[in-house]
Amino acid sequence: MNEIISMTGIVKKYPGVIALDHINFSVVQGEIMALVGENGAGKSTLLKILAGAVNADEGTIHLNGELVHFTKTQDAIDRGISVIYQELNLANDLSVAENLFVGRLPKNKIGTINFKKLYEDSTEYLDRLSLKFDPQTKVGTLNIANRQMVEIAKALVSKAKVLVMDEPTSSLTQNEVETLFELTKNLKKEGVTIIYVSHRLREIFEIADRVTVFRDAKLVDVKNIKEVNQQDIVKLMVGRELINLYGTRKQSVDYMTEPILTVEKLSLNKSVKEISFNLYPGEILGFSGLIGSGRSEVALAIFGFTKKSSGEIKFKNRDYQPKTPKDAISQGIGLVPEDRKKQGLFLNLQVRKNMSSASLPSISKYFLINKKKDQELSATYAEKMGLRSSAIEVGAVTLSGGNQQKVVIGRWMAQNPEILILDEPTRGVDVGAKGEIYQMIRKIAEKGVAVIVISSELPEVMGISDRIIVMREGLKVAELESKEFSEVKIMAASTGVE
Amino acid sequence: MLNVKKLFSFREAPLLLAILGLVIVLKFSSIYFFTPENFGIMSRQVGIALILAVGMTFVILTSDIDLSVGSMVAFASIMVGELGVLHKYPIIPAVILSLLASTILGLVSGLITTKIGLPAFVTTLGMLAVVRGLALGITGGAVISGFNESFTFFGQGSYGPFPIPFLFAVVIAIIAHVVLTQTTFGRQVYFIGSNEEAAKLSGIPTHRIKITTFMICAFLAGVAGILETARLSVGQPSAGVGYELTAIGAAVIGGVSLFGGVGSILGTTLGTVLLILINNGLILLNVDPYWQQVFSGTIIIAAVALNMRKAKS
Repeated sequence: MNEIISMTGIVKKYPGVIALDHINFSVVQGEIMALVGENGAGKSTLLKILAGAVNADEGTIHLNGELVHFTKTQDAIDRGISVIYQELNLANDLSVAENLFVGRLPKNKIGTINFKKLYEDSTEYLDRLSLKFDPQTKVGTLNIANRQMVEIAKALVSKAKVLVMDEPTSSLTQNEVETLFELTKNLKKEGVTIIYVSHRLREIFEIADRVTVFRDAKLVDVKNIKEVNQQDIVKLMVGRELINLYGTRKQSVDYMTEPILTVEKLSLNKSVKEISFNLYPGEILGFSGLIGSGRSEVALAIFGFTKKSSGEIKFKNRDYQPKTPKDAISQGIGLVPEDRKKQGLFLNLQVRKNMSSASLPSISKYFLINKKKDQELSATYAEKMGLRSSAIEVGAVTLSGGNQQKVVIGRWMAQNPEILILDEPTRGVDVGAKGEIYQMIRKIAEKGVAVIVISSELPEVMGISDRIIVMREGLKVAELESKEFSEVKIMAASTGVE
Repeated sequence: MLNVKKLFSFREAPLLLAILGLVIVLKFSSIYFFTPENFGIMSRQVGIALILAVGMTFVILTSDIDLSVGSMVAFASIMVGELGVLHKYPIIPAVILSLLASTILGLVSGLITTKIGLPAFVTTLGMLAVVRGLALGITGGAVISGFNESFTFFGQGSYGPFPIPFLFAVVIAIIAHVVLTQTTFGRQVYFIGSNEEAAKLSGIPTHRIKITTFMICAFLAGVAGILETARLSVGQPSAGVGYELTAIGAAVIGGVSLFGGVGSILGTTLGTVLLILINNGLILLNVDPYWQQVFSGTIIIAAVALNMRKAKS
């Protein structure tokens, strides 16, 4: 067996967390190697090191037996390693051809772009991938699946020998997924080595030769795909001690009481279409669906961040029309947003200020902040969230993902909310902290708070919710009671395939 | 020993050291530096520059910028002249109305930036021209003189060794410091600069706070304009040209991040002092005035570059 990539003893530390703990990872020429593990297990950090985007603290990388040192992404690309990230790296206003040949556009004698050759060469690559669009098409007019194909073609143009795909199917429909698989298998035949990262185990069994499992910054095992089943992989990913990660409900939700929130035929410009549902005190209502299905938009509308175009929301049986998040907060609604760093935290400010940011009225008098109250509030909720109280004066940026999320949840707990919405509450959080966050969500619900959990991870949304609403393309396509929960049902509803 | 260490461990310590170093260098390179006359001139300059820089700090802390402060200085200058001299208003109403008018211009900048969503850079670049144009249009380009002494005292007089504009600046800086560090408004300014979306999702009225910072900045530019008028005894539509550079420069040299959320009034104050010291030094060392701006500009670029490197590491 000819090892094309061999990473040995890779260690990467971030402030407060070890992201990779002495990883030995190798890939054989021409295989499809799947990489699985919970969020924060270390997969993406390892790939970033392989791509030259992040430098390892320790360890070596060999490419075809030769020691290499990647200090920037171009180094890796030059050596034939291309990574296709979840967020695609294309210039939407330029043509497909220009995107394919970016950095290596064919030139005329006088130094201007040779468009004729550019389009000819592009057509060749597009044909090779059986892609049927014109190389002059603007990338922005293509759908996500086709843009992804353009990224793959771009990797081929750069003579990629190793192609890394990070969750390539997360926003594709079933048909598109099949096309992608077809293509991937063809590339394999051409001798391209593929590293395939996915949360969807079924896909891995369909496409991969081997699978590497990560857990808690460690490489747990490498298995030949033919020798294992899905359960085996899940066991390796989660580890035995985390069987009951999600906890269990102590008392059942009383669906005979009045709902605290009633949403009727809520529509938002294009993204949400006439969605209706009830939310009951003390219940955990899950929202599932693909990215872009409108889940977060519903949450943001309830929170007064985006404007609804029609429909009605009733809060405690009264008409509720929040114009800004401030209105929602004053009614007792909290939102832990999807993107912690972009929407949740004030990274350069202290944990204390992050904690009390929604509680300014209660820690101040006549506009003056009461320092003692500020500190007490933050210390109290830091402790409740399982953070050391000495941590309240450090910058939020220094905390690990899990602890950062606890700060954002703590911010809302300090408000004693009646409704708490959590959008992707454990994205980028390591497994240990995940369990703690689920316990907190349970505790919050047990106090009678109505909780909405939006999640892309099926095990999570099934593990924590009392009820699940599935959305697809802005519509509510299913509402499941806990006894009806199944991955197949939810996937079928969210992708629209039976 | 321990106290000294503690004294120099705060964020602004390098600036303080730079100022001390420069003072020592200048003391030995020019006999005119350490004279009461020179300190009088410098503190008067510091006064007006600091008032502008403090206002600018509020705006920059939210990650916006106000390029129109120089024009605002001119506007307040001719307003107080128009009202106080030409229309013979008593001086107090004349000053109050001029400041009110300046503040309204800040409100306009704030409304355009937040409600229409233009970048503050564009809004205030436009306002730079509009407000200068207002000053020139209202006066027909003429200067206004004939202020009485009770008014010019505020620009030319002193209390003990301290020029009045300097004292104004100190009081304003202290109030601004308290507002930024002790009040909910100040905390919200930092929140917006640190992460505007997170601020909105924390229930902070981001538009209102941002508009308020533009109004504070314009109000303080008005104060600086009136003090400048009192200092020169004339209201002139060409006053304050290039003052935005001083105000922005002082703030960023003082460590206020143009990306928002980072900075303090103490930093801005030290930045102002450093900038004025450098200008003063260049004059005392007989550097050709035509070349002096090259230095100021270079120093501002260098300061921002240094700050960014610090932020990265």
